[in-house]
This record gives sequence, structure tokens and C-alpha cells, in this order.
Amino acid sequence: MSIFIASIAFGLVTSAVLALASVGFTLQFAVTNVLNLAYGAVMIASAFIAYAVNQAGVNVWVAAVVAAATGAVLSLFLNNVIYTPFQRRGTSPIAMVIVALGMTLILEFGTQAIAGGTNVSFTMGQGPTLQAGSFQLSGVELAIIGISIVSMLGIHVLIRHTRLGKAMRATAANRNLARNCGIRTDRVVTLTWLITGALCGLAGAVFAMDAGTFGATSTDLFLVLILAAVFLGGPGEPYGAMLGALVIGLATEISAAFIVPDYKDVVAFVILLAMLAVRPTGLLGART
Amino acid sequence: MIYYLTTLLVYGGVDAIACLGLSQQFGVAGVTNFGFIIFQAAGAYTAGVLSLPSDSANGAFQSYVGGLHLPFPFPLIGAAVVGGLLALPFASIVGKRLRGDFAAIGLLVTAVMANLLVTNYRPLLNGAAGLSLVPSPLGGLMNPQSAGYQWGYSAAAVVLAALTYLFVTRITNSPYGRTLRAMRDNDLVADSLGKNLRSLRTSSLVVGGAIAGLSGGLLVGFINLWDPQAWGYAETIVLFAAVIIGGLGNHRGAVLGAVLVPLGFEEASRYIPAIGSPGLIPALQWVAIGLLIVLFLWFRPQGVLPERRRVIAGAAFAEQSTASDPAGAGQRAGRVLGDGAPPPRAPVPLRARGEAGGGDVILEAVGLVRAFDGVRAVDGVSIAFERGRLTGLIGPNGAGKSTTLAMLAGTLPVTEGRILYRGEDITQLPAFRRARSGLVRTFQLASEFKKLTVMENLLTAVPDQQGDTFRGAVLGRRYWGRQERAATERVERMLEEFGLTALADRYAGDLSGGQRRLVEIMRSLMAEPEVLLLDEPMAGVHPRLAHQIGERLVGLCERGMTIVMVEHELAIMDEFCDPVVVMAEGRVLAQGTMASLRATEEVVEAYLVG
Repeated sequence: MSIFIASIAFGLVTSAVLALASVGFTLQFAVTNVLNLAYGAVMIASAFIAYAVNQAGVNVWVAAVVAAATGAVLSLFLNNVIYTPFQRRGTSPIAMVIVALGMTLILEFGTQAIAGGTNVSFTMGQGPTLQAGSFQLSGVELAIIGISIVSMLGIHVLIRHTRLGKAMRATAANRNLARNCGIRTDRVVTLTWLITGALCGLAGAVFAMDAGTFGATSTDLFLVLILAAVFLGGPGEPYGAMLGALVIGLATEISAAFIVPDYKDVVAFVILLAMLAVRPTGLLGART
Repeated sequence: MIYYLTTLLVYGGVDAIACLGLSQQFGVAGVTNFGFIIFQAAGAYTAGVLSLPSDSANGAFQSYVGGLHLPFPFPLIGAAVVGGLLALPFASIVGKRLRGDFAAIGLLVTAVMANLLVTNYRPLLNGAAGLSLVPSPLGGLMNPQSAGYQWGYSAAAVVLAALTYLFVTRITNSPYGRTLRAMRDNDLVADSLGKNLRSLRTSSLVVGGAIAGLSGGLLVGFINLWDPQAWGYAETIVLFAAVIIGGLGNHRGAVLGAVLVPLGFEEASRYIPAIGSPGLIPALQWVAIGLLIVLFLWFRPQGVLPERRRVIAGAAFAEQSTASDPAGAGQRAGRVLGDGAPPPRAPVPLRARGEAGGGDVILEAVGLVRAFDGVRAVDGVSIAFERGRLTGLIGPNGAGKSTTLAMLAGTLPVTEGRILYRGEDITQLPAFRRARSGLVRTFQLASEFKKLTVMENLLTAVPDQQGDTFRGAVLGRRYWGRQERAATERVERMLEEFGLTALADRYAGDLSGGQRRLVEIMRSLMAEPEVLLLDEPMAGVHPRLAHQIGERLVGLCERGMTIVMVEHELAIMDEFCDPVVVMAEGRVLAQGTMASLRATEEVVEAYLVG
């Protein structure tokens, strides 16, 4: 039982990191209709920039902000310079996937070429530990959960209560119509990618913090979890991504307590395949 | 030096085989199998565990299933067989009506997870350490380290690659290959022309899987080891990059891609001095591959060797077709009966146009409903179509005409109601089976096979082709050649009547809108339909030509074909259609001749207002 409770604690942290990542990913899909498989690569590249800053003596939380900024810039580059021109040309969705994979190689191994092949860690303290029986969370883990909750609230406010959010929803629903209604869709898309890119960079930083040690290819497997969360909630549905992140994060960590921990990601994989097979629009997506 | 050359040749052969398998699956059949690497890995592992002794041997430092210590050629055959069998569960993922990129994700993730499972579950295939000390085939007869053995292995690799090339080329150049390419270009239309998509995709996966398995088995016998590092996420991308760069849909391109990318790349980096940290060059290699992929997809998406246009040699048609009009172009305008038209399936006595009543009902819609998201696009439509009649279906936009047509053809599922064809309930019958039994449709929007020539477009529709099965394709031209020539002649006659002979070898995607419309009509006629469902066939067609087509359709009806035509041109309805059915807001308003309909107040109101 105590393992179970401890795993819930782990699960909450994983869900927190996953939520940051998945919401960004799903919003990018909503607004541009492209599955940005290079998302994991942007995460880890941002994490490494944060690492470099951290090694120069900067506090790790400030470095996380730097990571967010890096993520924003890289993601904007990815969309405006790479994805949009290909899409304008009428490239098929499959070819877009291959382009995204190509960009993943460039970003991930570019990072590895610059930063070297060994795994690294942030210089940071773990902070005070919260403990309630078997339920245990370090200060850092609590901070990560806190950052995630604040960001999710921020996204909620953005989507539901701002003009930009409304413009984003309109663009996601029907880009041409939105443009004809006077919405500057190009600007909306740019802003969306900047915001989601910041989420991506931030997710990369907290992922690296949570992982302890990390290398340039550490997010390869994490991308599977992101996809599982996104497809569980429904591609393009931010609230779905939040729900998906919670479920996947908890499911993988709790299952790790019962089956061999090396296979915990398999749970996410099974959920992803099941959703694709049965209900590709996700739990919160519209049924076609 | 010798070892370097022989290694190069073997790797080249293995890569070529793998790329040919992928080229066949992805380039020709359009099946995006991002899990492709798993099949090569499965082949290598199978060959490994079949040729290794039981895992207690060699001091039991490895743990794996199998260990049957089989001699050559069983491990290699086993590799191909397992590769093919493994494809079967994948067929169920790929077959679903899933967006292309979603399906790709599913397969990619499957590959990643398979790697994870094998790495972590040691008893299966010795986990992360992988299999080692795999015996070389025929290693007992000749020293595997000797130059002779090495050259022999290289020769075998090259020969196997050549055989694979001949095999996939044979399949691609057959009518079956043409069907695969049609499916790749537009699967919905291929389905409506009688092609069994599920079966085609499954066999493409199995063949590709077997070829990939073969390449794995060949490689493991040479390098004597195999571990999960050899078949990660990144390795799949390399194979796709090779096929794309070499040229999609072109098998020579696949071989070129194999030589340039996996092989050429590895070798080129060998000559770069080891600068920087030890991991730098391999990391830069991957960056370069990523760059190549993106740059090629941007600047030259068709690859170095693009897919060839296939020009089919015309039969000696001038002498043979005695029924063709020798006077040529001038006479064509007045013709009513077309000679390229196929005889209808069930011979029916000739009936004069407009013969009142008594015709038997060949196709019937009973209470058809199509509802989604609260909208009832078709709301209880019942129409009986009589054999040998040219029935028109008119109505304002949004009336549900095309939706009704789609349900009759099977390309849209029915929410409620039944469809009876020749007295039998076909409501649940899939579209391709309906097409095979004579119920064929055309589409409102562009539906030609873009990367096939006009000639090929028309040939795909010919039913019951011997060459249109896998077995037929493998048996080769000697088996299906004659039937193909006959079909080609039919196509040439049809082209001549419609005045489009000059377009025979043009890509269908390059034609003007009106020309594409004609190709579609011709193609549907080539399918030898008993009931033809036309969805706005005259849209974008010159009025004079539209009139000719109308005359021709009437001629076909007189010979027993039943035609249902959705159209907006009321003049066409006036002249050619009897009866005409009017739909509005998902229901049938009225039915009768145009003259009687013009006099019906409801109809006039619905059309003018709605």
C-alpha cells in the first residue's frame, strides 16, 4: 500500500510535467493542424540552454525562464520557417510528419554535437521535503507541481477570457472563416507558437529537473507519453490534454509499482494505440 | 582492404533489399509503415535464434528463445517468414480510416515500444546486450573469416538484392501494381472501382515485411550479432530518408537511395578526421541526415530518380477494330452508340426510350436516412430505379442528392433504411463489392489518379483482370499479357470516341477540369457497370460535348444499362432523363417527366426558393 501511495506522488509530478508539455503540443496542433513531433527535441534543447546558464552560476529557476524563452524562439522558428512554407505548398500530412522527424534529428543531435554525449544534471538543491506517511514530495517536486498548476490556470484564462484566446479558438475551428471575419490569423498563429513554445521550453526545464540526469535523447520516450496524453484527451483540445496528462502520469507511475518499472511507459503506449483504434478524436473531442 | 570491400558490398546489399521493401510498401502502395524497422529486426532475431544453439551453450551467458541450431538456409527463410507474419497485426492499424499522420504516429510509437520491450525483457532475446556469436551460414564448411567466404557472402548479398529488385519490379509493372498505385493516389476512388483496400494493404505490408525480414536475416549471418541499438527510432528514419531521397515510387531510386544514404553516409563519415569529442561526428551525421530529409522534401520531393511515367504500347488497333468509325473526327458528333462501350452484364431485350411502366426495379432505396451531429442530410428517401432507364436526380444545393448517391454506392454508411440491388439487401455491403457486382459511381470532385496516366486510369477500372491479383502479378506478363492487350484496345477505342486519344499518356493530374470530368466518365464505363451512378458528370463540360455524352448515355440505357444522374443542368434533364426525381431538404418532393415537374407548384417553389 505504501508503494502505491508513493507512486501517486511520483505520478503527480509526472502529470505536472506532462501537462505543461501536452497542452503546448495540442494547441500547436489545434491552430496549425500539424503534429509537431519535434516538440521533444525543442524541450531538450531548451533544457540544455538552461543547463548552460545554470553552469554559469545562475539559479536554476531563473534558468527555467531562460529555457521558456528559448523554447518560444525555437518553436516560432520551427513553425514560421519550416512548417508553414511546407503547408502552403500543399504537403501531405504524412510528409509533414517526415519533415518533423527530420527537424527532430537536426535539433536533438545538434544539441548533442554542441553539448557532448554525456548526461548532465542541474546544479540545484532539493529543498525541504513534504511528507505524509508514504506520500513524499521534495521541494523541487512541489515547485514543479505548482508551476504546472499556475500555467494551466493561465492557459485557462487565456483561452476562455481573453480576445486572443477567442481568436485562437476561432482559428483552430476554421482558419479561413476566422480570417474572413477580420481575425489576423497569421498573428494569432505566431502568438500561439510563442506561447506554446514557452510552455515547451519550460516543460523541458522541469523535465530535466525531475529526471535528475538528462542527455540529448532523453525526451524520445517522453514524446510517447505526450502523444498518449494528447490523444487521450483529443488532439487539439487543451482541457483534454490536461486530463490526459493527469491520467497518463498517474497510470504510468502507479503501474510501475505493480509491474516491472522498466515497462511503465508501455501503459501509455497501450492507451495511445487504443485511442487511435477506437476513438481518434479523444475523450473530449467531437465524435465524427 | 578485402574485408572493407566485402563489408561494403554486404551492407549495400542488405540496405538495398530493405529499401526495396520499403519502396514497394510506401512508394508504390502508399502504405506509411513507420514501424518498418521492426520487421528487419524481427528477421535478424529470427535468423539468430534459429541458427544459434540452445541458450545454455557457450557458458549460458545469453538468454533467448529458440536456439534450434538450424543449418542454412532455414534461418534465412525463417527470417523472411517471420517478417511477413509480423505484418499481419499491423495491417489492422493501417487499414482503419485513420488520418495518415495519426496512423504514422501509432506505428512509430509501436516501433519505439517494441525496442523498449525487447531491451528490458531479457529472457526473450537477451535484452540490451542482444544476440552474439550467431553462427555464420555454412560456417562449418568454410572458414567464415577466409577471403573466399567473405567474397561468397558478398556475391550472395548482391544476388539477393538483384532478385528482390526483379521481384518488386515485376509486381509494380503488372496490373496489380497499377492498382496499388491507384490506391496510393486516391484510395476512396479505388475502393469505389472494386479494389479491396484492406486486402491490398495487408498484402503490401506482408510482402514488405518479408523483404525486410530477409534483409535482417542476411545481415545477422554476416556480422554475427544483433542488438536493440541497431534498430531504434532513428534507423527507421534513415530508411525513409533513403527512399525519399532516392525517389519515391521508383525502385531504382530505392537502390540509389540505399547506396547514397545508409551506405554512402556511413562511409563518407569514415574519412572525416576525428575532430572534437568522440561523439561529435556521429551526432553531426544525424544532423546531416535530418537536413537532407528536409532539404530534399523541399527542393526535390520526387527524389533523385522520380517515378517514371508509364507509356503502354498501343495495340495494332487500326487494323483490328473493325467496328471503329473509319471516317474519323467529322462523323463523331452525330454518333449515338459508342463501340468502345462494353456489353452490359445481364443481357436485356432492347427497349425504346420512354416506354411506359412495366420495367423491373433493379435498384431501390427504402427509407434512407443519413444523420450526423443532429443534421438529417437525407431524411427518409425511397426511390425505385427501373432497369434500362436514365433517371435524373435534381434539387437545390443541400437537398441531399449526392449524399443519397453516396449511400447507394456504399461510400457513405447508412444511418437508417435499406438498399436493395437486384432484389437483394446490400445495405451492409462494402463499396468495393458493390462495384464488383456492377454498381459503379463517379464523384463530384476531382477523383482521378493523379500520378497515373489517362490510359492507366482507364485500365484500372477494367474488372476481373487476371493481372490484378498478387498471384497474377507474380506469374508475370506471360500470364496477364493477352488480357491486358485486349483491355488496352478497349481503352483506345473509348479514348477515340471521346476525342481524347492525344491525352492517353498524360498524367491525369495535369488535365483541365473538363478533361478530368471526361476521364472519370470513361473510367466508370470501363468498369462495365450494370447500374451507373453519376454525380454531376456535366459540370465544367462544354455544352456541345455534354449533349454528346447525354446521347451516349441514352444509348447505353437502350442496351440495358441503368443510369442515375445527379445534375443541375435542367436542359439535360429535359432532353435525356425520364423519370426525374426532385429532392429538397433531404426528402423526395416529386417524380415524373420534366414537363410534368415544371407544372408542379411545389417543385417550382423549392427550386426557385431553396
